[in-house]
Amino acid sequence: MKSLRVPLILPLVAALVLATTPPPVADAQGQSIKIGVLFDHTGPFAAGGSLNCWRGAKMAIDLVNEKGGVLGKYKIVQVDGDGQSKAEVAINEAERLLNAEKVDILAGIYSSAHAVPLAEKVDKQKKFLWITTAISSKVFDGRNLQYTFRPQATGDQFGALSVAYINEFARDKLKKDPKALRIALIHEDGAYGTDVANGSEVKAKELGLNIVLKEGYSINAPDLSSLVTKLRSQRPDVLLHTGYNPDIALFLRQAKEQGLRLQAYIGHGAGHSQIDKLKEAFGAKEIEGFHTLDPIASQLLDPKKLKPGVGEMTAEMVKRYKAQFDKDVTDRAIAPHVSMGFNNMWILLNDVLPRAISKHGGFGADALAKAARETDIPEGGTMQGYGVKFFPPGHRFAGQNERAFPAVFEIIEGKFELVYPKTVATASPLLPLPASSPLAAK
Amino acid sequence: MIDPIFLAEAAVNGVLLGGVLALLALGLNLIFGVIDIVWIAYVDLVMLCMYLVYFLVQVYGWPVWAGGLAAVALGAALGIAVHLLIISPILGSAPINQLLATGGLLFFLQSFATFLWTTDHRSVRLSLPSYDLGGIFLPLTRVIPFAISILALVALYLFLTRTFVGTAIRAVSQDREAMGLMGANPHRIYLVTSAVGGLMAGLAGALLIFLYSVHPFFGGQLGPLTFMICVLGGLGNMVGAFVASFIMSEIISIAGVLWSTEMGYVIAFVVFIVMIFVRPGGILARRG
Repeated sequence: MKSLRVPLILPLVAALVLATTPPPVADAQGQSIKIGVLFDHTGPFAAGGSLNCWRGAKMAIDLVNEKGGVLGKYKIVQVDGDGQSKAEVAINEAERLLNAEKVDILAGIYSSAHAVPLAEKVDKQKKFLWITTAISSKVFDGRNLQYTFRPQATGDQFGALSVAYINEFARDKLKKDPKALRIALIHEDGAYGTDVANGSEVKAKELGLNIVLKEGYSINAPDLSSLVTKLRSQRPDVLLHTGYNPDIALFLRQAKEQGLRLQAYIGHGAGHSQIDKLKEAFGAKEIEGFHTLDPIASQLLDPKKLKPGVGEMTAEMVKRYKAQFDKDVTDRAIAPHVSMGFNNMWILLNDVLPRAISKHGGFGADALAKAARETDIPEGGTMQGYGVKFFPPGHRFAGQNERAFPAVFEIIEGKFELVYPKTVATASPLLPLPASSPLAAK
Repeated sequence: MIDPIFLAEAAVNGVLLGGVLALLALGLNLIFGVIDIVWIAYVDLVMLCMYLVYFLVQVYGWPVWAGGLAAVALGAALGIAVHLLIISPILGSAPINQLLATGGLLFFLQSFATFLWTTDHRSVRLSLPSYDLGGIFLPLTRVIPFAISILALVALYLFLTRTFVGTAIRAVSQDREAMGLMGANPHRIYLVTSAVGGLMAGLAGALLIFLYSVHPFFGGQLGPLTFMICVLGGLGNMVGAFVASFIMSEIISIAGVLWSTEMGYVIAFVVFIVMIFVRPGGILARRG
């Protein structure tokens, strides 16, 4: 009987401690808020955009702290975690941040392959998760998460938009009936690529467009020449590609060498949005006319189209990025991932957190979730142009921002231009691929 | 039904990939066959040599051939350094300790490369033409590394069979105790073998930088496949590794075109698992 005492008493004591430990309340002077910022600092995702997201998030936190903190008095303590581009490591890091570092909020997450398992685990622990970057719709789809929120657009929105873009310009620019176009979809086979490709497929069916090939591949595949050969056998006009890096660099090299010819090449974020890396791997002239989809890089938006004060934030972000990370980069070449990290962290620090503290009595997970559900930022109210309102509990995508949208960018004269939707476009699309591109149909 | 010309192109792709995989597998297998230790970090040594070529050619403007020779020299020096600093002190240790030591080297090299050069992917671009032979594309950027790989493998074969040191290396791999009893110094042979294995890694690095972007975790892209080829060919069996390289690359390429890219790798791995059961000593091992 004595041997049973310890196993029986320990859980009781633990339960008592948990029940009597109050959630963080906002009543102490000089109190700080601990935010675990989880991105991939090492591994292939780091250079694929994750590090730029972290840079953006860090700059937003620094800026808030320089102004005295949230509501002018709650300093943010940033505790970094490195997912190492591996899902199991990201999950362990999340556990460390939440349960060893005792952070109040877990924020960040670049890869959908990490976000999908993480969201459910964190939500079950009733901890607050703020996803800045990962886009897979599977993070929320049918899960009714209560403590997980994402201001970012979803992967299937990306996929649908690229198809809508081609459908819109096929007749005018490619001189073809959209239904006569041969469209191929290739994607990395994780949650991110699969979600985007499914979004494209659904939209293409809806519009009656012709998908001639849909195929996934592993980002660690040492050779993609068979995929190129298969694509050539299907003679696509348009290739929609979702990948990270270095898989897209490998694919593009092999596509060029093996004579793949296209009228349009459209990537979907991640490696396709890192223009400097694309130039290095494939050549500056060679990437002319390449597209990517992402939430809008803030510096590409006309500040006059945004709410007052939002444009100044973008200018501040650009100034800080150049000073801290890359003094030689041109404004337009700053990757959209910097904006994702900065803008989405900014929304948390300047909209959700102040309301949680002032209206709901603190920054515990319940107060934060209530405050997030009350977020109501109209279109043009954030640096990336979209508004923010989260789907309510019980909705199929509870926690997902219903006002988020991506946009189509194209590399024109060596820099990204916004080409779609037309309401935010800064240039007319360059279609078909120019003759300088080795992938251009001859 | 896929056009036969594309199937033929897939077969050619497989041959070109096989040559590069063989170069990696033979260097690793040579070391294992002689020293009886698996260098888990072998492809990470290749990664260091790729970085050297990148910096010499892309940053300092060296000609490609000079960058390549420097990588070969670095590979040989790294092979000697790894043997003296890491392998030699643990030669008599339990196999698990040896594995942990080379595994530790792998993590060290990845972290060290991240510290020095960040996680950026770096590429050296060579603008060489591709030849269209009746619908089959033969890119020189892949044909040249393939040809150099095959030449290197022939040179390795001649070195092992036609020179005194090569014969000694083969003798040690067959019976190290007997060689010791006959007055030969196996430690000197180990050192030479490590240098030759490292040299092969350097050559692989000099060729692969023109096919792949290099980053600190490059080893994860080709390392597992290289080990599978070594096991499939028979650890220490040079001819087996050579044949296994082409078996795996052809399966990946042809099944990739016939079904899907993912299925190509699935079938290759299934063949590997089946062969491990059927011929645990490698595809060319004698039964019984």
